[in-house]
Amino acid sequence: MSELVHSEEQAPPSLIRRLPQSRVALVGIGFVLFWVILALLAPWLGLQPPNAQDYAAIAEPKPSAAHLLGTDPLGRDMLSRLIWGARTVLTVAPLAVLAAYLVGCTLGLLAGYYGGLVDAAISRLSDVILSFPVIVLYVILIANIGPSMLNIIVAVVLASAPGIGRIVRGLVLELKSQDFVAAALLRREMALYIMVVELLPNCRGPLITDFCLRLGYTTITIGILGFLGLGLPPPDPDWGGMVQQATAMITVWPHMALLPSAALCSLVLGFNLLADGLRELSLRE
Amino acid sequence: MASFLLKRLVGLALTLVAASFLVFSVTEFSPGNVARKTLGPYALQEQVDLLYKRLHLDDPLLVRYARWLGVLVGAIDDPLQDPVLKLNFEDPRGKRYFGNFGYSTLFKSPVNDVLWDRVEHTALLAGIAFALIVPLSLLAGILAGMREGSRLDRAISFLGIVFTSIPEFASGVFLTAIFVVGLAWLPGTSPMERGAGWSLAAQLVLPVTVLVLYDSGYVARMVRGSMAEVMNKPYVRTAILKGLPRREVIIRHAVRNAMIAPFTVILLQINFLISGVVVTEMVFAYPGFGRMLLEASLFGDISLIEAATLIALIVAMTTQLLSDLGYMLLNPQIRLA
Amino acid sequence: MSEEKRNPNVELVKSQFVEGKMDRREFLRLATLMGLSASAAYAFAGKVTGEGFIAPARAQGAMPKGGVLRIGSRIKDIKSPHTYSWGAWDSNISRQVCEYLTLTDEKNVTHPYLLEKWDASPDLKTWTLHIRRKVKWRDGKPLTADEVIWNLKQCLDPAVGSSVIGLMKGYLLEEYDTGQKDEKGNAKKSTRLWDANAIQKVDDFTVRLNCKAPQVAVPEHLFHYPLAILHPDDKGVFQAGAMGTGAFELTGYELGKKAVLKARKGYWGDGPHLDGIEFSDMGDDPSAAISAMASKQVHGLVGADPVQYDALKALKGVEMYQVATAETAVLRVKVSEKPFNDPRVRKALRLAVDSKKIVEVALRGLGLPGEHHHVAQAQPDYAKLKPMPRDVAAAKKLLAEAGLPNGFDTEIFVPKDPPWNGAESQAAIEQWKEAGIRVKLSIMPGQEYWDVWTKVPFGCTIWYHRPLGVMLLGLAYRTGVPWNETGFSNAEFDKVLGEAEGTLDVEKRKRLMARLEEIMQEDGPIVQPLWRNNFTFYDRKVKGFTMHPTNYIFGNRLALEA
Repeated sequence: MSELVHSEEQAPPSLIRRLPQSRVALVGIGFVLFWVILALLAPWLGLQPPNAQDYAAIAEPKPSAAHLLGTDPLGRDMLSRLIWGARTVLTVAPLAVLAAYLVGCTLGLLAGYYGGLVDAAISRLSDVILSFPVIVLYVILIANIGPSMLNIIVAVVLASAPGIGRIVRGLVLELKSQDFVAAALLRREMALYIMVVELLPNCRGPLITDFCLRLGYTTITIGILGFLGLGLPPPDPDWGGMVQQATAMITVWPHMALLPSAALCSLVLGFNLLADGLRELSLRE
Repeated sequence: MASFLLKRLVGLALTLVAASFLVFSVTEFSPGNVARKTLGPYALQEQVDLLYKRLHLDDPLLVRYARWLGVLVGAIDDPLQDPVLKLNFEDPRGKRYFGNFGYSTLFKSPVNDVLWDRVEHTALLAGIAFALIVPLSLLAGILAGMREGSRLDRAISFLGIVFTSIPEFASGVFLTAIFVVGLAWLPGTSPMERGAGWSLAAQLVLPVTVLVLYDSGYVARMVRGSMAEVMNKPYVRTAILKGLPRREVIIRHAVRNAMIAPFTVILLQINFLISGVVVTEMVFAYPGFGRMLLEASLFGDISLIEAATLIALIVAMTTQLLSDLGYMLLNPQIRLA
Repeated sequence: MSEEKRNPNVELVKSQFVEGKMDRREFLRLATLMGLSASAAYAFAGKVTGEGFIAPARAQGAMPKGGVLRIGSRIKDIKSPHTYSWGAWDSNISRQVCEYLTLTDEKNVTHPYLLEKWDASPDLKTWTLHIRRKVKWRDGKPLTADEVIWNLKQCLDPAVGSSVIGLMKGYLLEEYDTGQKDEKGNAKKSTRLWDANAIQKVDDFTVRLNCKAPQVAVPEHLFHYPLAILHPDDKGVFQAGAMGTGAFELTGYELGKKAVLKARKGYWGDGPHLDGIEFSDMGDDPSAAISAMASKQVHGLVGADPVQYDALKALKGVEMYQVATAETAVLRVKVSEKPFNDPRVRKALRLAVDSKKIVEVALRGLGLPGEHHHVAQAQPDYAKLKPMPRDVAAAKKLLAEAGLPNGFDTEIFVPKDPPWNGAESQAAIEQWKEAGIRVKLSIMPGQEYWDVWTKVPFGCTIWYHRPLGVMLLGLAYRTGVPWNETGFSNAEFDKVLGEAEGTLDVEKRKRLMARLEEIMQEDGPIVQPLWRNNFTFYDRKVKGFTMHPTNYIFGNRLALEA
């Protein structure tokens, strides 16, 4: 038991610090950073405005000197839309997952810490939501509340928070019986203090991996919603929407759908590799 | 065991009620109301108002939900079939029977006429996909997990992770471009009708492939992880050190024990498959459950959405129950708990 | 012929054509509407212009026999033809079974179809319809006046709810007070035939319409897609086995999936050459239809979207068919909403767009630039105005005068389908930006948009082809009519429109039309940057196809090479 207290102080930070040990994680970080840096620098890369239409390029939208990666069906520069699209994806997905974590952790802490009726109420509600096939939940929600950035975040929170809550609850139940929590209880610390200061940091390890996996899955989900026409509203670029718009032309102008698909896959791959690397590191302990 | 089952079944029923209420309140959130959707966009406002009143759509949400539930269990008549409304809605099964999902405003016929055909199609698609995913991913996972860190392991793990990173819509679109338009080997849509010169089997190839690619990667990685863990267990190591043939150790001891954890994962894939079919069915114009659900959601066809959700939930929860039962059977220690 | 000569309207039309006041196209339309047979009209036109007489009839030649034609479509609700609201998706199925009294062809010339001919009185108020005697129902019985009258009355019964009421209200119906009150205490109004004798049976094969106002376009209205002639015994319901006069019989139908039609024996007209036609639903995804064409699962599509054009064109063994139409999507504002209540703001919206560029972006060039007045060059009553080119400076000036020197922010609602509506809106949004009009785009599922299409402050609404400009203007911009989605109300417009509808004198009507178009450009509630060419692709094996501006399919003319 004392080991665990020990690991509370050292293990989680070292997981991040030990990242360079995992080649898989490094490759994953490489993919993610590639898009993060491009997205951050977007305004200073000298790109054409992502929504500007080049009427001359519509007949021959393939890559040219004017448009290095060609244009989309409406004559808009693909390179610019890919990079600005990265900005959108890399804002919405992390924001949504963070929000889901905020809600999920709260639910999990409450359920795990208080147990009893609180636990029962939260767990049953989570069961209901978790029993939906994910896409079904998204489709019904977005089709009814309308596609927008905020609504997508709301949908992600609703769909993911119960899962996160369940993980946190399990971890809290395990930790609750341990010395440092008992000590805090003896010190008559406030429940909020115990939950946030004593319990939450100890859940970090497994949650980091889950966070990366969820980032990947949420990115895919946003792409799928875009493809189903339920994604972020045009004209601002969104990878899934870009693919959807271009599928009809794929046999003639494959770059229009291929590029955003590849971008999406590479980012998701990055998140997944990162999660894999992290998991392996934590198992190696 | 019996009391466990009973408890779970009651829980299942309660969850279904809660989930259907959740869906009911979300769909009622939409601005267009049932009356307008029933009559269509060109109907006069007064006709809509009249129907709105006759159907008592101004009642509180709970009352309307209770009415819907009443129709479903056969306790009350389906209000839309009332001849006073002159909607010509008729269900050959009658006005009042158990399992009456009501009337689909999108398909203009009883939900039960629309639903089951599509469920069958999807069951076929998902069934074939599942039958391929399980052996494929087991094989790949065991091969990879057998020798952790080997070249084969790395190749399989990497491929697995790549496949799970390619969303179904991307693989669907590109497989179509290559095999339909480029090579002309396969049909581009899967209406599940003969007559256009393509066999049903040929029509299933692409949708099944798309589902299999995405899901097997994930399952294979799970199996691999579990397998690698078991291979590191002392009793396996000892068996190998004792000089037992490696092949035999793997087949006799490792695989059986390694299957316990992924068993749950594999059954839960059915849930994933249901998600996957929405996209796949749309790409291939497959007349299934997922496409129907998408169209119903976009249209706001409450009866159909409710029915579809209930079925999705029943499937998901039954598999959950099965996986729990299976887990208990595989791992006798849990049975006591 | 002698009777036609006595009709002063035919003489008026002929003389105006001879004097060069009317072009050939308009002459053909009006002369046939006035009861001159199509071949006589073409012959007369040939004599005047010196062009050789080209028979309008299609080269029937030796058509191949047999085969089942498969067409990609959407399969919508087809149960009640008299209340159809799609036009192409629904009526193309029933059209093969239940035919129409007249037929407006792809050149906008209206022919008698189930009718042998019609006569209009000199004051254009009495229309006599002569039913073609050889027309037989599938059971072999002849089509009679009673059955035609039943269909007309059915469509004009407000309880049925057919959009035919909107077309014929002006000359066959009157509004009356039902005596009941609605919840707000206002008197409930309804419509009924203006006179008990408005639809009169002359004999078993002759029907007379006695109108309260003159109307030129009666034969065109008879081709409106809800006016399919059903058998009264079917009680207005169209389903498998329904009786019809057409060359096919519906044998199977599943909403959202397919419709199966089988050729029948003993059809009264030409054809059918095929054994059957199957329509299958391709869903909303435009690439599914392309895939189906590529793998020969369907021979053709009811209609294609510009996003499908490049890929369809690249397929082997297919033929493209296209026709210029009066189909458009208007970017329309609600004139009661700020800032659109100011006509200067509305005009600024128009001045800030470049129609030609939008045609290129949204339609991939397959169309013509619009002039913001919703009368198409493809329509015979079109009057040419001075061009209204893009002028961003003028737009900005108008906005400044309207008290918006820095432009304004707003939001436009656009239905998801068809995809070119979104493309058109996005192109316009980019161009509005330069004039300081910042528009946010909200794409809605089609169904949701049609719930609010008459209510949104700023929206994009598709208007399908109508043979006449006055028909569109009357449906959409006359004060208080049900489809007036913009709430536009201009007294002068209403007055001039009424005059134009009842005027046969072409010169006078051109002047009236020009005035209407000017009002639309100055004060109107729409930005209308494009006219669509409707187009589709069919397998080269399909013979006898012509593209109709409303995507109608006439199955009895089609054939399939083995």
